[in-house]
Amino acid sequence: MSAHGHAEGQLPHEPEKATLEGRNKILGFWIFLGAEVVLFGTLFSAFIALRHQVLDGPSASELFELPTVFAATMILLTSSLMSVFAVQAMHRHQVKSMIGWLVLTVLLGLAFLVLEIVEFNTYVSEGHRMNTSAFSSSFYTLVGFHGGHVAFGVLWISLLIAQIFKKGLTVVTAPKIYLSAIYWHFIDVVWVFIFTVVYLMGKVG
Amino acid sequence: MDWLTTVDHKKIGILYLLAGFIFFIIGGLEAILIRIQLIKPNNHFVGADTFNELITMHGTTMIFLAAMPMLFALMNAVVPLQIGARDVAFPFVNALGFWTFFFGGVLLNISWFVGDVPDAGWTSYVPLAGTTFNGTHGVDYYVIGLQIAGIGTLLGGINFMATIINMRAPGMSFMRMPLFTWAVFVTSILIVFAFPALTVGLVALMFDRLFQANFFEIGAGGNEVLWEHIFWIFGHPEVYILILPAFGVISEVVSTFSRKRLFGYSSMVFALVLIAFLGFMVWAHHMFTTGLGPVANALFSIGTMLIAVPTGVKIFNWLFTMWGGSIRFTTASLFGIGFIPTFVLGGVTGVMLASAPADYQYHDTYFVVAHFHYVIVGGLIMGIFAGLHYWWPKMFGRMLNERLGQLTFWTFFTGFHLTFFVQHFLGLLGMPRRVWTYLPNQGFDTMNLVSTIGAFLMGVGTIVFVINVIVTWAKPRNAADDPWEDGRSLEWSIPSPPPEYNFKQLPLVRGLDAWWKEKREGHTEMTPAEPAGPIHMPSPSILPFIMSVGLFIAGFGFMYHTYWLAGLGVLITFACMFLRSVFDDPGFHIDPKEEVHA
Amino acid sequence: MSGNHSASGEEVRRHKVEGPQKHIVAFILSLALTIIAFAAVAAGDINTTFTYIILVLMAIIQVFVQLAFWMHMKDRGHMFPIICIIAGVFIVFMMVIMAVYWLWW
Repeated sequence: MSAHGHAEGQLPHEPEKATLEGRNKILGFWIFLGAEVVLFGTLFSAFIALRHQVLDGPSASELFELPTVFAATMILLTSSLMSVFAVQAMHRHQVKSMIGWLVLTVLLGLAFLVLEIVEFNTYVSEGHRMNTSAFSSSFYTLVGFHGGHVAFGVLWISLLIAQIFKKGLTVVTAPKIYLSAIYWHFIDVVWVFIFTVVYLMGKVG
Repeated sequence: MDWLTTVDHKKIGILYLLAGFIFFIIGGLEAILIRIQLIKPNNHFVGADTFNELITMHGTTMIFLAAMPMLFALMNAVVPLQIGARDVAFPFVNALGFWTFFFGGVLLNISWFVGDVPDAGWTSYVPLAGTTFNGTHGVDYYVIGLQIAGIGTLLGGINFMATIINMRAPGMSFMRMPLFTWAVFVTSILIVFAFPALTVGLVALMFDRLFQANFFEIGAGGNEVLWEHIFWIFGHPEVYILILPAFGVISEVVSTFSRKRLFGYSSMVFALVLIAFLGFMVWAHHMFTTGLGPVANALFSIGTMLIAVPTGVKIFNWLFTMWGGSIRFTTASLFGIGFIPTFVLGGVTGVMLASAPADYQYHDTYFVVAHFHYVIVGGLIMGIFAGLHYWWPKMFGRMLNERLGQLTFWTFFTGFHLTFFVQHFLGLLGMPRRVWTYLPNQGFDTMNLVSTIGAFLMGVGTIVFVINVIVTWAKPRNAADDPWEDGRSLEWSIPSPPPEYNFKQLPLVRGLDAWWKEKREGHTEMTPAEPAGPIHMPSPSILPFIMSVGLFIAGFGFMYHTYWLAGLGVLITFACMFLRSVFDDPGFHIDPKEEVHA
Repeated sequence: MSGNHSASGEEVRRHKVEGPQKHIVAFILSLALTIIAFAAVAAGDINTTFTYIILVLMAIIQVFVQLAFWMHMKDRGHMFPIICIIAGVFIVFMMVIMAVYWLWW
């Protein structure tokens, strides 16, 4: 079922697209991202609908600290750039370099998660819990889902780094790296909307 | 064991059919019980609470656990064959999709045994479905069962989209695909973009119920209409997900049994796409009476009526296909031809309902019940029966018995109309839906009796079908490759049932109705598009089954606030994903030359 | 990197390997758009509606930049991915209208 992708044992230029399985996985993943757009979009719509319903709890402008959010944004943006470099290294078949960029991606992702966990803890101590109000429920669900996606990505890319060590870069492992990079970029794109709609618009009122 | 680990689309199709049909029987029994309760006024066959449970489970089971899986059965059995492929793009994910559906359905129905059954309707509106008015676990079964089953459906949608885009045989451009494949393609797009909305809605309801969130709690600033919006943004595309594959079946059956090319191929494709596109923009016609205001109501009203246009195009094209054709009346074509006027009846009452001011009168009456049963049962289920009888030899290597099939048709068809035609008038007389009994002398009594008799007749029809299956199962498995002799598409060019790898050599497609074209030119086989050789197949795996069990366990853990159990279930599922990522599947090879044919 | 000839002596297409320049430009653009958005809010005394417009505009442009460069959507062979994302966005657009206009009255 699969095509052959290389001449005399050398890895092809874009190893992730060299097999039918690889091309299927990439297409399938983009389709999945289309579904994720609707998923996050629905969460955003619910948030937009409920964002003023703060009841007795603290409001958005009282809660959010812009410097922290800016730091988190920079961390995630940079980690996305790291993953771009990883894929470029993959196309040049520079495996060590690729692994280096992937490790940086994961470390920055972890830093983002730590910031977010600390942030949520602070909010809870300020009286902003899941059950405080409609605003708080939709906040934690939307931002938490995004954080969950980041966490999954961190675990996934770490696993892939280990797999590259064990199996090397092949036409089987390359699509996985490519997919994880697209996933990671997508999470960053979602974050652009989160910091805009949740944090910045929340601060403005 | 083979059936627990298979990743073969043909076997997965049979699994979907078996499970879907069992749930169809369960949903049918729930319907019979509903109809017995309503056979006469002031009846006490079941109490009010049980009645609410019955209507909730009947709707939820029929839509999510019976109709959709049986459609998936046909999709799995037929589409790879129609496009000249050896399997779907993601065979492992295909199996995962089946097992998650199965365990989601089992979880939902365990509620009957526990005695805590969802009772807020298949639409589960809040605040009735919230913890204030529904403090026991019934609705949790609904939320978690559907969430798990919904994952399977979403995976299936992604799978078929990728398969149809990437794996068509050489020469099969998009406009040379059979109409059933086109219908499945458009349906898959609907699934991919509609199900995530349901996912979020169920998450929000789950969080409200389990973690005291406030999405829908008015006292805490929540909004109940939000649930309706989210549900119907999913729910309306869902009904097009149900009917489009049936349209595809009708196109195949009508053209095959008229021995004539489908009339207006391009417009049929365009109509499918337009129905899907418009279908995303009309959800609030389920909410005309919530108070959205005249602008919203007007927009959704017009949008809804617009969908009748491409649908009408399809109806006329089917009629024009039959006109001048050489029509054969087999069970499949009877169901197909019976579909057409029945679906039109359902469609026109839909246009009536689309008028927002009129809907203020129809809303929550049996008029609505009549409408949607006409399109779902008269449309979808008849389409499924047509597809089953048509593709049965391809799936199982045996033909179903024609006389039993005709009996199935006539009893089911008659029973159906008896059950639901009178319900239009019950609705117009003012009989409300979802109410467990009614007072006498309002003009409801006779029609309810007729409706119940019709329901029993449908049950008889279903039993006749089951007898047909059992009786023919004993016969030898010797159906011809092209048992109807008038097959037009690629699935009829290979043995019935096909070998594991489907096509010894991928076929070269030279036009629309590729197989018919080859036959007209005197060929007895498709021209191959590749040399013969060993064929690479994906390996079977137990992981999809175990992953689904993990989700099943996690579901119970969440529902009953037993978080170590929830964690265990999630861990099992993640562990399987880990194994799947780490251990790549090398597959295995089949060499067709070495096979011995019996 | 492969040369022009494989071992059998056939011509192998030389693949243009893209450098990091375009992606760094995309990074800097994203950074700038982010800073403008944060600055608009931190400034505090800009009219609310105007601020909203700036925020939404910055976000949309940044998303385009990231999709086009980092997710390769400007490259050929991405027709279906583009259709999938547009379809998703279209549906979300309707949902946002719902949330803003048809939920509270």
